[in-house]
Amino acid sequence: MSGGGRAERRGRGKQSGGAHHPAPMSPVEQRVAALEALLTERGLVPEGFLEEVIRRYEAEIGPMNGAKVVARAWTDPAYKQRLLADGTAAIAELGFGGEEGDHMVVVANTPAVHNVIVCTLCSCYPWPTLGLPPAWYKDPPYRARMVREPRTLLAEMGCELPEDVEIRVWDSSAEVRYLVLPQRPAGTEGVSEAELAGLVTRDSMIGVARL
Amino acid sequence: MNLSDLGQPRRNGELVFEAPWQSRVFGLAAAVVEHACGGDREPFRRELIKAIAAEPGRPYWESWTAALEALVRDLPE
Repeated sequence: MSGGGRAERRGRGKQSGGAHHPAPMSPVEQRVAALEALLTERGLVPEGFLEEVIRRYEAEIGPMNGAKVVARAWTDPAYKQRLLADGTAAIAELGFGGEEGDHMVVVANTPAVHNVIVCTLCSCYPWPTLGLPPAWYKDPPYRARMVREPRTLLAEMGCELPEDVEIRVWDSSAEVRYLVLPQRPAGTEGVSEAELAGLVTRDSMIGVARL
Repeated sequence: MNLSDLGQPRRNGELVFEAPWQSRVFGLAAAVVEHACGGDREPFRRELIKAIAAEPGRPYWESWTAALEALVRDLPE
């Protein structure tokens, strides 16, 4: 899938003659800079706001949060029950919530049912528990094919499912964000909750991988 | 040297943002949602859906930028 437009201009700031010539900005960089100038002028971007938002999403908010939710559900049957009954409230018990996590529904995999999440219209995703979505989740092929031919696409992504396993595809929306509760791997009896959390991958909580 | 040695944040092997402008425009949308839309994300989401539908093959963060431009155009001064 596409690798995105990584900035390639770093390190070209200085040119001969000693004068400082900043690297030329790409068109989209110019548009973003213009937006930032306009919004700052209107007082909508307080000092330090951008840096704090970016820091949180780069350092604090990510799939390690969802992994804690999953590990708790694996080790505490009462918590699992609450999680499946009211995802938002049970996830908030562990301190996770807020933007894009207001209406969480947790769907549990079983030996007979495999769940997978998608957003067909844009990129809705449970930020508090998974962070920002990976590039492929936002790409048109995933958004279209996961609905049309989930079994084939899952197999291409390395998640081959037996024919008798039912696949349920959940289309995220403004109203609902889904999180997949993967099955606890066999042979992990006696493993601590913290160690279990270390086994849970982002992809297993999207539903494109099994553990 | 491996990128992860530099302590860059990664999620299952992927950087959260691929370039600084992507993180800036992400944060700018958060600023508009919080300070101009009363925390309601829906107006931005509607613009993002429109922007993606208008040019399905466009890189995601460029559609995000177009969506924010459209939302800002419609904001009361």
